[in-house]
Amino acid sequence: MPNISSLNSAYSGLAAQRRVLDVTAHNIANANTKGYHVQRVDLVSAGQSATSGLFAGASKTNGVNSDALSRSYDELLAARASREEASLSSATTSSSTMAAIEQIFPEPGDTGIAHQLDQFWSSWSGVATSPGSTAARTELLSKAGALTSSLNRAAADLQGVHDAAAARTSSLAIDVNTLAKQLADVNKAITTSLGSNPDLLDHRDVLLNSLAKLTGATTRPAADGLVDVYVGNRALVVGEYTEQMDGSSGTLTWTNGNQPVDAPSGVAAALAATMTDVVPRYRAALDTVAASLVAGVNALHSAGYDTSSTTGRTFFDPTRTTAATIALSVDVAGAPGNIAAGAPVLPGPTAPGVLDGEQARAIARLADSVTGPNTAYRTLISGLATETNAATSRAALQEQVAAGATRDAESVGSVNLDEEMANLVSAQRAYEANARVIKAVDEMLSILMQSFR
Amino acid sequence: MRVTNSMMLRSTLRDLNTSLGRLQESQQRTTTGRANLRMSDNPTATTVAMSTRQDLRRNEQMGRELDDARSLLDAADSALTNGLTTLSRAREVAIAAANTGGASQGASREAYAAQIRAMRSELMSLANTKVGDRSVFAGNAAGNAYDATGTYTGDNGSVVRDLAPSLSMTVNVTGSAAFGVGGSGAGNVFEVLDRLATAIQIGDPSAMAAEQANLVSAADTMSSATAIIGVQGERVLEIASRSADDKLRLQTQLSNVEDVDIVQALIESKEQETRYQASLQVAAKIIPPSLMDFLR
Repeated sequence: MPNISSLNSAYSGLAAQRRVLDVTAHNIANANTKGYHVQRVDLVSAGQSATSGLFAGASKTNGVNSDALSRSYDELLAARASREEASLSSATTSSSTMAAIEQIFPEPGDTGIAHQLDQFWSSWSGVATSPGSTAARTELLSKAGALTSSLNRAAADLQGVHDAAAARTSSLAIDVNTLAKQLADVNKAITTSLGSNPDLLDHRDVLLNSLAKLTGATTRPAADGLVDVYVGNRALVVGEYTEQMDGSSGTLTWTNGNQPVDAPSGVAAALAATMTDVVPRYRAALDTVAASLVAGVNALHSAGYDTSSTTGRTFFDPTRTTAATIALSVDVAGAPGNIAAGAPVLPGPTAPGVLDGEQARAIARLADSVTGPNTAYRTLISGLATETNAATSRAALQEQVAAGATRDAESVGSVNLDEEMANLVSAQRAYEANARVIKAVDEMLSILMQSFR
Repeated sequence: MRVTNSMMLRSTLRDLNTSLGRLQESQQRTTTGRANLRMSDNPTATTVAMSTRQDLRRNEQMGRELDDARSLLDAADSALTNGLTTLSRAREVAIAAANTGGASQGASREAYAAQIRAMRSELMSLANTKVGDRSVFAGNAAGNAYDATGTYTGDNGSVVRDLAPSLSMTVNVTGSAAFGVGGSGAGNVFEVLDRLATAIQIGDPSAMAAEQANLVSAADTMSSATAIIGVQGERVLEIASRSADDKLRLQTQLSNVEDVDIVQALIESKEQETRYQASLQVAAKIIPPSLMDFLR
């Protein structure tokens, strides 16, 4: 009987439009929720079966089916956005590491090591000009002390950059473990939940993105709509099972087996590069400066003669040739008279000329040496400037790329309030129309009832 | 492409942030007066600036050496010039003494001899001229160049100064070169004057004649030393003027790579300010409205 069937259709319409209204309200409520994707009720017309009979239509009715819920989600775009965001985290971390190292060396300027070196050589020339003056020798010792402490401090600051990266790695491991656990929980919830649950999927995607940003983790689809998470070639999350990472030693390792984590991207990759490549490289460059300073000055100094005609004295401690340890030798520290300013081959017929500053002059000339500490330091700075510049522009470029990828992914999934408003209005109208149908059927039935009275 | 509210909000915020960052950088350039705030802003300029700075420091350091060289040479020059005057006066006295014959002139011979001895000590003090703690004629030795007996106590060391990159110069003459080598042949000028005074005192005409001749050759030695000092002084002056030119050139070069063009920086900063204000206004207009404003 068609009349009763339309009542059922109208009822299903009411229910469906209410559902649409509910979902629209859910969408609007989550308009600013991170990682939320717009949900839609998949309205499907319920197949027709116009069987006659008073209550026959209850199971096979016309109308609309509103059981299915889908989310606007493009897997490829989302994966791309996640990958680019991971690269961005890595590029930003590298760039801030380089900026931190750059700040250790305030060049060009009047406070950097270059300036200290210049002043050091200049003091040697001061001693060469007046070798008899204790003031000039004392000034040299104080400039040398300033230079060595600057080198010591730069080395300590570099170590500080390394230590900061190590500390960050250890807190990163804790974050990764927490996220992995949450992900395993979500996986469990997905397997136990009946039907599709878009909110759970969104929640999982947010966790996956966070993991990707931290470690460059990648996902592989698994059975039952789950995903497994891999870092490098090793699984971090499989279904409800998670591996653990350990960062307490400063390097990221797998707790199970204690092997190093090979993070392909993300913050972890940048931190690992900082500790294994960037900092050691600049420390080695700084050590080259220190070693060349110690070797160059000592070679000339130990051949020279001091005010008491003693030769063979060292200026820098020859056993401390790194930037972290460089120091004045015990020969000259606090003993300006022991600075060997006099030439080894004495021009005069008599004992060493007290006012002969030829050896000091030779040391001052190291300033111009193309293999000397100044050149080594300039090489360090020019390399650092270039690398920092490259890191900064890479981060800026990656930001554009990541912003584009994120925008593309969002354009599919994020909430457009205009759209929701339109849906709201359309659901409201449809609800009204369905109610109108019920009223019409009711009226028809009343007429029918009255005609039999 | 589907555009949503959160996308728009995010991109507007990002653009505003970028714009504000640029504004801040350009203002920082203007206030610090530096073209590059960090070395990574312009790696090439950093390298150039560093080597220019080093050259400038070296130039300043050599400027100090130049000053030192000039005072050493000036002292030596005036000592030798005064010494030559003293020597020519000594010759006049010697000639006058030679023309005074006879034993009755003993008193005036004593006076002549005393004059010669006074000149010797005058010359001695000139020979011991000092600049700071350094006797200019003593080579690299400490203390005086000559002791009271006229013995050279200096050494034969050259006093070398680095006056320009890879240009070092000797800026002294030793006592031996200026006043003669003592102890052999005619001896140094002090020995000559000593013997002359004695010869005048005892009235020995042949000895007086011989010492007069020695005096002439001592004066020759001194004037050639003066010439050497003069040549050295001229070169130092020439190098000093070149060094001053270099300094100016280096300062200009450094300013070119390090300093900001203030007019350009101001215009840039104004431009960024305008751009920032414009984006703020646009953002204020774009973000609020939605369909909700029209459904009432």
